[in-house]
Amino acid sequence: MTLLSVQNLTVQAGEVPLVKGISFDVQKGEWLAIIGQSGSGKSVSASAIGRLLAPNLKAQGKALYNGKDILQFGAKEMRRLRGTSISYIFQDYQGSFTSFHTIGRHFEEFLKAHFKLSKAQRREMAEQALESVGLQPEMYTRYPFQLSGGQLQRSSIALALLTKPDLVIADEPTAALDSISAAKVLRLLADLQQKTGCAMLFITHDLRHVRKHADQIIVMKEGEIVEKGDKQSVLDQPQHAYTRSLMAASPSLSAASQLLKGDDTSCVYCN
Amino acid sequence: MTSRLTINRTRATKVFLSAFLILIAAIAVYAFLILKHDPSFVDLNERLLPMSWQHPFGTDHLGRDMLTRILLGFQLTVGYGFLALLLAVAIGVPIGVIAGFKGGLVDRLLMRVADAFLAFPDTVVAIVLSGLLGAGIENLLLAIILVKWVNYARLARSTVVTERQKDYITMAKINGLSEWRIMWKHLFPHLIGHILVLASLDLGKIILLISSLSYIGLGAQPPAPEWGAMLNEARPYFQTVPALMIYPGLAIVTVVLLSNLLGDYLRDKFDVKKEVAE
Repeated sequence: MTLLSVQNLTVQAGEVPLVKGISFDVQKGEWLAIIGQSGSGKSVSASAIGRLLAPNLKAQGKALYNGKDILQFGAKEMRRLRGTSISYIFQDYQGSFTSFHTIGRHFEEFLKAHFKLSKAQRREMAEQALESVGLQPEMYTRYPFQLSGGQLQRSSIALALLTKPDLVIADEPTAALDSISAAKVLRLLADLQQKTGCAMLFITHDLRHVRKHADQIIVMKEGEIVEKGDKQSVLDQPQHAYTRSLMAASPSLSAASQLLKGDDTSCVYCN
Repeated sequence: MTSRLTINRTRATKVFLSAFLILIAAIAVYAFLILKHDPSFVDLNERLLPMSWQHPFGTDHLGRDMLTRILLGFQLTVGYGFLALLLAVAIGVPIGVIAGFKGGLVDRLLMRVADAFLAFPDTVVAIVLSGLLGAGIENLLLAIILVKWVNYARLARSTVVTERQKDYITMAKINGLSEWRIMWKHLFPHLIGHILVLASLDLGKIILLISSLSYIGLGAQPPAPEWGAMLNEARPYFQTVPALMIYPGLAIVTVVLLSNLLGDYLRDKFDVKKEVAE
C-alpha cells in the first residue's frame, strides 16, 4: 500500500532548478534509500516533502500522503502531520537539540504539544523511548553537551520514533558519526523499523549504508532520478553509467566481509 | 605580564561594580532612612550655604539641601533611564524576534518601520516631541523609547536570523511545537546575553540624554531635582558657588562611567569567543 507518493516534484531557487520533476512512491513499512553525491538534490527533496525548505526555495508538484497533498496543507494540519505521522532524523545531531534544554525537556515539549497525558505518563514514555534506543533513562535529565555524538543521535532517533510515525525521513543520520557508531546507529534504525513497521526514507551518499538494510533504491544525479528499483537489481545490474561509477567509488570489501562475517563492530564496511 | 594585566583589570572592574552597588545602597539608605530635608523646600535665609553638618553638600540658590537633591536626582535620572531602557527592550525585542523568525513580508515591513525611526537622531525626536506635546520628562521618555527600541529590534532580529536556520529550530518545527513556543523557549534565551550587554551600554547614553535634554529645558522641569536641570539652574552662580555645578556634574559622570564599566564587564562575561580562546 502506497504511503507517500511524490509526483513530479520540482524545487527551484529563483530560476535555478535544484530538483527537476522527480516521482517516486514509498510503500508502507519499506526502507527506501535515496543515494547520490552532494548537491544531487536528495536532501532538498526530503525537505520539500516535510515542508522545511528555506524561504528562498519554491516546491512544485505533489507529495501525496495517504492520498492528501502535503504541499497544500495548512499550518494546523502540518503540525499534526509532523507530530504524529512523519518525523525526521538529521545529520547534525549536535545541532538538533536546543543547547540549554535537557534531553528530557525536548521529549516533554513534544509530547505536551500532541497528547493529553499526565506528567508522569510523559516521563515514563520518554524514558521508555530512551531505553528502546539503548540509552539509560538517566539521560532524561542530561543536557545535550553532556552526551556523546552517538548518544545524541540515538536520542534524536528516540524522539523521532516516540509517537510511532508511519514515515521516518532520515537525512544522512550517520554522516557525522565515526564508522563504528554509524554502524551501530544504522542497525538500531533497522531494528526499530522492524519493530514499529514504519516506512523509512533514508538519504545517504554512501552506498555501503544501503547494501544491508534498503528494500528500494533511488539514485539521484543533478536533481533527477537516474535509476530506481529494488535493491538487488540496482546493485547487481546497475543500468545507468552513474550508478556504476558510484559503485566503483564505494570501497567494497566483499572479501574482507566474508572473512569477518558476523562481527559488525570490527568490520564497519560490511554494512 | 598579560595575566597580571588581566587580573588587575578584572579587579578594577570588580571594584567599580562594588562601588556601583554601594552607591545604590547608600542612596536607598539615605533616601529612606535619614532623609532630613524636603528636596523642594525653599528657605531663602539659607541660600548658597557652604558645607556643614546640617547640609553636607551645602544649599543651592533657593536654600534647598544639595545632598538631598543629588540623591533624589539619582532616583529620577537613573530611575527614568532604567524605565526608558526597559520599555525600549520590551518593545524592541519581541518585534525583532517576530521579524527574524517569520521572515518575508512581516520582516520587511517591521524592519522598514525600524529604519524610519533610525533615520531621526534622538535629540531631534526629543525636541520635536516636546514641541508637539510640551516639555516634560514623560515626553522625553517617549522620545527615548521611540529612538532606542530600534537597536533592540535589530539586534534580536539578526541573532534570530542566524539561529533559526539551525537544526534545533527545524527539529522543534518538526516536533510540531507552536511558533510561539519556539520563539520564546528556544530562540529567546539565546538573546538574553546580547541584550543585557547592549542595554547596560545604553543605560549610560540614556542617562546622558535625559540630563542633557533636561539641561536645555526639554526634560525634567524645575523644581524636579534632575541632575541636568540642576546644572542649568546653577549656571548663574557658577563663578561664586561652583559646587552647585560640580556635584550634579560629578553625579552624572560617575553614573555614566559605572554603567559603561558594567556594560564592558557583561560584554566580557558573555564573550563566547574569548572563552574558547582561553
